[in-house]
Amino acid sequence: MGQNDKNKMGIQGRHFIFILMAIVVAAPLIFRVGLPLRVTAEVRQVYGFLDRLPPHSAVIFSFDHETSTLPEMVPLAEALLRHCFRKNLKVFGMALLAEGAAVGDDNLRRIGSEYDKKYGEDYLFWGFRPQFTTAILALGERIDHEFPSDYTGQDIRSFPVMEGIENYKDIAAVITVGDGDIPVYWVNYAQARYGVKIIPAVTAVMATTMYPFLQSGQLVGLAAGLKGAAEYEMLIGKPGRAVKGMDAQSGAHIFVIILILVGNTVMIAGRRRKGR
Amino acid sequence: MNYGITVAAILTLAIYSFLYKDNPFYKAAEHILLGVSVGYFVAVTVSTTLIPKLFIPIFSEGKLSYIIPGILGMVMFLRFSKKLSPYSRIPLSIIIGVGAGVSIPAMMQAQIIAQMKATMLPINSLSNIIIIVAVLSVLIYFYFSQPHKGAIGVGAKIGIYFLMIFFGSTFGYTVMARISLLIGRLQFLLGDWLGFID
Repeated sequence: MGQNDKNKMGIQGRHFIFILMAIVVAAPLIFRVGLPLRVTAEVRQVYGFLDRLPPHSAVIFSFDHETSTLPEMVPLAEALLRHCFRKNLKVFGMALLAEGAAVGDDNLRRIGSEYDKKYGEDYLFWGFRPQFTTAILALGERIDHEFPSDYTGQDIRSFPVMEGIENYKDIAAVITVGDGDIPVYWVNYAQARYGVKIIPAVTAVMATTMYPFLQSGQLVGLAAGLKGAAEYEMLIGKPGRAVKGMDAQSGAHIFVIILILVGNTVMIAGRRRKGR
Repeated sequence: MNYGITVAAILTLAIYSFLYKDNPFYKAAEHILLGVSVGYFVAVTVSTTLIPKLFIPIFSEGKLSYIIPGILGMVMFLRFSKKLSPYSRIPLSIIIGVGAGVSIPAMMQAQIIAQMKATMLPINSLSNIIIIVAVLSVLIYFYFSQPHKGAIGVGAKIGIYFLMIFFGSTFGYTVMARISLLIGRLQFLLGDWLGFID
């Protein structure tokens, strides 16, 4: 067998795995299985905290992500927004990454309309700020100085929802919907300096980064990845796309485990054959 | 027919075509993504930051002191000139100086003091014992002033096992995240585009 044949076979094997993975993920989306889903303590902590807030408490949703992670970020944001709007909390949106601005604005308006919330009266989208360290610190002084106008360019002081909102002392919690390190910056600058309650709604990749802050009590709780979103959808009693995706997630995990076991078995057998 | 969804679906398939091999459709989709992202970033930055935070204060509200940071910002672009590039270090030095001044106490408080406090736990439960042993052993592993022999060697070895567990759990979460992205795209293709699922 020549070198070219080996390469060709290698590529075909890779393609075979891709096709199998697509089938394993797609099949449970079409034919629902309904595997049981357990709500973890860290997601329950987030739910409990927001649920105990008095009506008209103010929360900031910071959309600190790019569009590449929308499948994880949007279900998380939607579930948390639904809870906040249902609890009649004042919701303020902002973004520390430019791509999060359009997504955040769309999320707020879409979920707000489900609960008949009015822009400017019940919620407001401040917009995007670069230099997230400066932005996070500046909100601790005067919010209307950092965001003199909202995303649409109107003076934020002209909106009734801004009444009595000056800085972090008027904010019950910051929910950072993030796919990178920015939730850590919220801990460093808003929590450590101003004592703001931080709720990270992050990608699964970022979960292990956030756990030390959760253990130290610097975070209210943690909702991570599509699973975190599915758990939150269960808690608010409105199963959505995240819950529907959990069967596919479980199937894909089993497939990856099988691949790892088969791959290692083949590798060990190959080594033994060479050793003889 | 929603043309936006169709365009998004075609671009998604173009990106996934890379799984077969590099091809012009993938390249076109990649270039569109880059161009749109940069264009969007510039537009959003100008409309939501430069105009309300710089141009309106200077030209409408007469806050002339805002000219100074404006000029400093523009001086950053001098780095593209061979002759004038040293001047770009002035705003850079301000950013670094202020940044360090702001971040060092915050990092000390949030990342070191708070984490140290969280490790000072009563030895009354298995999880507390695991946390204490893990922190100490990993710190020993990263202590390179002594050879990893004897008691330090044993501590470092335990530290390696804890690090391996951490890497394993991080990899597990990474797999979960990547699968979630695939689920999201398939939900979009099968649901929003083709209407096979709700």
